[in-house]
Amino acid sequence: MSATVDDIEIREEAAQRRRAAIRRYAKHPGFVIGACGILVLLVVALLAPWLAPHSPTRTDLMNTLAPPSATYWLGTDQFGRDVLSRLIYGAQVSLQVGFFVVLISLSAGTILGAVAGYAGGWVERALVAAIDILLAFPSFLLALALVAARGNTLDSIIVAVAIAYTPRVAAVMRSVVLTIRPRPFIEASRAIGLSPWKIILRHIIPNALPPVIVVATVSAATAILAEAGLSFLGLGVQPPTPTWGNVIAEGQTSITTNPLISLSAGLCIAFTVIVLNLLGDGLRDTLDPQMRRNTGKLL
Amino acid sequence: MTAATFELRGLTAAVPGETGAVRLVEEVSLSVSAGETLAVVGESGSGKTVTFTSALGLLPKPGRVIEGQALYNGTDLLSLAPESLRRVRGAQIGMVFQDPLTGLNPVFRVGDQIAEVLRAHLSIGRREARERAVQLLARVQIPDPARRVHDYPHQFSGGMRQRVLIAMAIALGPRVLIADEPTTALDVTVQAQILDLLSELREEEGMAMVLITHDLGVVARQADRIAVMYSGRVVETGRVDEVFRAPRHPYTISLFRSIPDLDAPAGTMLAPIAGAPPDPQRRPSGCAFAPRCFAAREADGCMSRRPLLTDEGHAVACHRQGMLEQAA
Repeated sequence: MSATVDDIEIREEAAQRRRAAIRRYAKHPGFVIGACGILVLLVVALLAPWLAPHSPTRTDLMNTLAPPSATYWLGTDQFGRDVLSRLIYGAQVSLQVGFFVVLISLSAGTILGAVAGYAGGWVERALVAAIDILLAFPSFLLALALVAARGNTLDSIIVAVAIAYTPRVAAVMRSVVLTIRPRPFIEASRAIGLSPWKIILRHIIPNALPPVIVVATVSAATAILAEAGLSFLGLGVQPPTPTWGNVIAEGQTSITTNPLISLSAGLCIAFTVIVLNLLGDGLRDTLDPQMRRNTGKLL
Repeated sequence: MTAATFELRGLTAAVPGETGAVRLVEEVSLSVSAGETLAVVGESGSGKTVTFTSALGLLPKPGRVIEGQALYNGTDLLSLAPESLRRVRGAQIGMVFQDPLTGLNPVFRVGDQIAEVLRAHLSIGRREARERAVQLLARVQIPDPARRVHDYPHQFSGGMRQRVLIAMAIALGPRVLIADEPTTALDVTVQAQILDLLSELREEEGMAMVLITHDLGVVARQADRIAVMYSGRVVETGRVDEVFRAPRHPYTISLFRSIPDLDAPAGTMLAPIAGAPPDPQRRPSGCAFAPRCFAAREADGCMSRRPLLTDEGHAVACHRQGMLEQAA
């Protein structure tokens, strides 16, 4: 290589930019709390077999509905299962749902919205009509109907919730694309002979992603909530698999005597939703240059 | 004269309006040959840009070409399938746009964007495309190109970005280069550099160049031939020296009168053209320029008949032509 000095300088410049970006994120308390919260949840979910003091499905019939003790930190449910262990394993289900729903609805919604926004004409009208119909339909009911039709395995729950949330991403994506389409570099890419697909993938989507990522983060929270709701109704992942929704539902029978069972699962859900929303807000503030001035405020 | 590399014949483009199609450009015929620069002049909204975007199939919907041909080396671009037209654009006919500040995608490195043009039309690898991007940056006289390929558009000045866009336009050695007001957004000293670069490239590559501008000074310096457009039509066209020596259309004459003259005595007022160009939806039935024209006369049909472009080398579309020449 001839330009070694240049290369080093380029690398230094890039490193500087990266440091500046990291500093921007670090200064945003909401982002930091959200990111740490997600990290904690991830660690808990991944290390569940080591962290959980008991098996989540092992029943201790001598100790049903036990109050918190040194053996069972959060007590046991009516089958004598350790509530804490069930919550720890429940994080696995919730995070899987959140992750895969976002993965599916983000990819599908991005493509649909970008195609609708870029193509215009009847393609756009047809896609927008479809998106609007799905948006007008309550997404939880839609997910409920899809689960009822497809059966309640984890896969089908993820697919159902993802289908219900795709139109949101698509609608946001399209509106952002509409602001990008008239920009001169899009016309320039057409003038240099790029194909429509290349323009969408290389020029439209990368410029439209920041707001869509924010929507996706927040819909991870609603997806987790939706899964908990389905579980609570008995349409989610079936017992004895521990999910937070299942734990709430099972704790319901003894809610007057042992409110801690349902309450602790509810707090898990609330915690997850809050940290995901904080993360989403943090991303919104840091990804959008116009919002950067207001960063740092929590509320 | 050699056969034209790029020729428009009777091009008419329109958008749907409330009362039928609104014709943005009407019966535009122009041609440009290899090694030659054609300047297309006219005020904002006269159809300069629409003429060429529609010829290349780039007119935004719902606009469309309703008549005419756009011939590139004898092939009518408007009859090509979108896919074949796409292969001509960029590769055979390059375009440089008005606003270099927004003409580049802000999220990608400059080198990658140049490489993208190459890879869209040629089957070459990433590495080779990158190397050629460096050569192209050198070609448009960007200092330290090996390093600048890694930069993002915001790290370039306006003039430098226009150089990058020119590099993208000439990347595949096009035979025709269409420059749409390439210097309007730039400051004066940079304007001259960009124009010099364009004419240098045109000479070296033997390209046919179309220079869309509203700056008559630029025309005088750069162009071989000129076409003056008014309200969607070509009203006068000819060799630059002829048109500048003896403009024949009242609009062209008025344009020259409205240029500030440094030798004029202090206190001399400029002679602007009164009024504004007509809305394409409500063009007068006669000559579109008649309401603003110093020579218009009903007796000659200025208000009722549309004047047609004469068939000569220095052509003009005006009913009062004979009278004006006698007066001169």
